[in-house]
Amino acid sequence: MAYHSFLLEPISCHAWNKDRTQIALCPNNHEVHIYRKDGAKWSKVHELKEHNGQVTGIDWAPESNRLVTCGTDRNAYVWTLKGNVWKPTLVILRINRAARCVKWSPKENKFAVGSGSRLISICYFEQENDWWVCKHIKKPIRSTVLSLDWHPNNVLLAAGSCDFKCRIFSAYIKEVEERPSPTPWGSKMPFGELMFESSSSCGWVHSICFSASGSRVAWVSHDSTLCLADAGRKMAVASLCTETLPLLAVTFITENSLVAAGHDCCPMLFTYEESQGALSFGGKLDVPKQSSQRGLTARERFQNLDKKASSDTANATLDTLHKNSISQISVLTGGKDKCSQFCTTGMDGGMSIWDVKSLESALKDLKIK
Amino acid sequence: RRTGEALRAFHTALRSSPGSARSQAMKEQAQGTMLKVLTSFKSSEIEQAVNSLDRNGVDLLMKYIYKGFEKPSENSSAILLQWHEKALAVGGLGSIIRVLTARKTV
Repeated sequence: MAYHSFLLEPISCHAWNKDRTQIALCPNNHEVHIYRKDGAKWSKVHELKEHNGQVTGIDWAPESNRLVTCGTDRNAYVWTLKGNVWKPTLVILRINRAARCVKWSPKENKFAVGSGSRLISICYFEQENDWWVCKHIKKPIRSTVLSLDWHPNNVLLAAGSCDFKCRIFSAYIKEVEERPSPTPWGSKMPFGELMFESSSSCGWVHSICFSASGSRVAWVSHDSTLCLADAGRKMAVASLCTETLPLLAVTFITENSLVAAGHDCCPMLFTYEESQGALSFGGKLDVPKQSSQRGLTARERFQNLDKKASSDTANATLDTLHKNSISQISVLTGGKDKCSQFCTTGMDGGMSIWDVKSLESALKDLKIK
Repeated sequence: RRTGEALRAFHTALRSSPGSARSQAMKEQAQGTMLKVLTSFKSSEIEQAVNSLDRNGVDLLMKYIYKGFEKPSENSSAILLQWHEKALAVGGLGSIIRVLTARKTV
């Protein structure tokens, strides 16, 4: 696995460009830095300074090559590359709390922003006024929206919130698109329509993800659970109480397999068994090479006992690649149906790229369906 | 045999846990019963009892263990710590997280 330490502080959020040669990230401040791959090194090529508050979300549209950023300053900016300079355009979100997450729609003609104002701003470009405008989805959200993901049909949007629920809304904007055809989540999709709402888990929903086909949505909550709603099984929800600390990020890597990571600093595999409608834990993906377990001398044992009141030989340092919580996972190659590489960033300021084939050969019990 | 009785009492106490009980009195009665059952176990029997539970059972047990810690009686903490160690081995840190995040307490 390739691990690169960008910072000594947390990477708040990141986004990749289309060909994965550049990564845009927020180094825990009001800026966005863009790094370009230079052989084995990463060189900083741009610094985007416009936000007056921490940048909480970045998304890079692959086709139009535009960036969208959002921050605690309650603003969002769309950035366009003119020559060698990124030029920002302010988007008025009409929110009175921090923006927390942002995602371009698949066709890149809209983007959605989740915020502490307990609503989602759906933004689209109005040609006549040469200006980005937004519409709000409010009901029945009761708390901060922490995560968003678009359905491949460019209309449905999944939102995870601090009110413990995962919801799917219609974000249909008649000004920019045709009426969508029916999906397993429903046929009538006027703007703001609630297509699905999960029953309460007991934790803030940190991250949410549609499968590549859009017929499944998975989310992770602060009560250390992973849930999946399957439209193909009448929106039945499968949930798994994990043995881990809460997960903060989740993504599908095939229609039946998910990778999630969080406060345990290690990505993990989960599998969905459609016939039983059940989720199961598939194993940790970060298995450190076994350093030779040398025995402790009597002197070292006594020192341990004296210092830590424990004769335990277990290491107090983390064996995982990431030395702090992983806060975001992104799919690099292969898409969400045949992911071959994914990327993690975390509070240790590091970024790691994971190769699925290498993981499968290194961890013999790993079964990715 | 004594062991069998303790195990049966254990499962019965868990099964009849007042899930969404409103009454505080009912909850306290269940807590008291649970504590009596947990303290009646011999240390060597705890592991088997924990292994006989499913995931939800382990989570529920963990909730009762922490409830027991809240209201310590003579010697209760010692046996509860042993239960905690065995439950943690099966339920992991996730089961403790769910004690902290649960909206319906026992």
